Amino acid sequence: MQLIAGERCALAASSGLVNAAPDQASKTFLATQTLDEGRHVEIFTQRLYDLGVKPNDLETTIKTYINPHLGKFAEVLLEKIDKKDFVAGVVGQNIVLEGMAFSVFEMLHAGAEASNPKFAHTLSGTIADERRHVGFGENRIGELIRRYPEKKPEVQRMQREMTKHMLATFHEAFARNGSPAEARTGAPQKDRAGPTYQGLNLAEASNEEMEGALSATVLKEFKTRLGRIGLEYQSPV
Amino acid sequence: MPETDDPHELGEAEFRNTVHSFEFWFEAVQGYLHGRPYGSPGLRESELTERQRQGLITTLCNYCVGETAALDASSGMIGFAPDRGAKIFLATQVVDEGRHLEVLLHRMKQLGVADPDAEIEQRANRSLLKFKERLLEFVDARDWEASVFAQNVILECLEYTVFRHHAGTADPVTAEMLRGIVSDERRHMGFGENDLGRRLLMAPHTHDRLNQIKRELDSLVINTFAETLGELGVERDDRPDLAGDYLAAVARLGFRS
Repeated sequence: MQLIAGERCALAASSGLVNAAPDQASKTFLATQTLDEGRHVEIFTQRLYDLGVKPNDLETTIKTYINPHLGKFAEVLLEKIDKKDFVAGVVGQNIVLEGMAFSVFEMLHAGAEASNPKFAHTLSGTIADERRHVGFGENRIGELIRRYPEKKPEVQRMQREMTKHMLATFHEAFARNGSPAEARTGAPQKDRAGPTYQGLNLAEASNEEMEGALSATVLKEFKTRLGRIGLEYQSPV
Repeated sequence: MPETDDPHELGEAEFRNTVHSFEFWFEAVQGYLHGRPYGSPGLRESELTERQRQGLITTLCNYCVGETAALDASSGMIGFAPDRGAKIFLATQVVDEGRHLEVLLHRMKQLGVADPDAEIEQRANRSLLKFKERLLEFVDARDWEASVFAQNVILECLEYTVFRHHAGTADPVTAEMLRGIVSDERRHMGFGENDLGRRLLMAPHTHDRLNQIKRELDSLVINTFAETLGELGVERDDRPDLAGDYLAAVARLGFRS
């Protein structure tokens, strides 16, 4: 459910950015990203149907189960998109949202690899797409940030807001619902090691440990990637 | 998965689920995209006179305006599309339009244009720019019916008419590129026809509103044809009846003058 909500946000953001893109190459890349995000929405929606959700119940099911912090995370980003703010939009979409999605998918992939190869395969395709999207964000925006340094404070404010909602999303997902179901599916067989993520045994780790590992990984990624485009990571704490 | 190969034999819900999907899009495009970088399977260039080359560059500049309008509009419409199927279809249309723009710009570079953006700025015809402006106003206003009509009926019919005519007279490289684009336009027109057809059945009064928009846009489309043919130096007596063909294409989709 949360994956669909995240991918819907990415679809709205990448398509909204096409119109605001200042050059042809960016428009073309974002057109391909729009296609990728639409496909992700389709894939994860199909997975929900496979799990028994009826197509007519899709919207109400999503509304019921969406993590409210994830909804706020999306709102912060889509507000920039509505204003056709290309620089903030690409940082929010291709660095923050994609950076978060990339790490979440990697964790889910680690959990599903042995126990649910079909879902793991789906995730690996999605991860490959996200890697390309993050690359575009770094490449294109670095130049724009250098050209428009006055944009920095506003973009960093947005990053801090989005990070706050992201961490709250993780906290609620792990605390209230238990660890994400897909990450737990790889329970170890007696004579086999369980799935690992960032050195953590997912089958044995507590919810707090899993939340900590995911948060630390995403934040480290943010710092690295923001640094590459000339922005300093802003902690929401 | 549906048991029939022809989507038109499906019931409405299954038709929409089938047609508004990546699987359908991928099957549709792979036949004419595979092995054809930039829309052309490595055909040899034919000799063009300088007048022909300049005429072709002007035409391609105007095609770029149309495709940029389609790219900006179809991507903008995703944000307010009424359902998931429409969003998915538009996501495939966005990448189609982005690809069209890419192949057109590539063709301009093959013709020796160093700065396509500057050429487009200089050569784009006014009626088409006005059309683009109106279309994006509908999109900015999040007016779904007007946007689908202006984009997937009017603009796609305009492009379909012009590209088909041009493919019949153009040099082989340009002609092959245009045929690939026309195959996409058919799909895009089908979406507009299908979406608006259903809406018109449910709300017949929408027809009056769309006809009003059509009257406004028709004049811009017809002026675009006249300006483009004039810029190409085609004598009045030799001009194809693009306006007639365009109006016939729109009428086939259920929108008569």
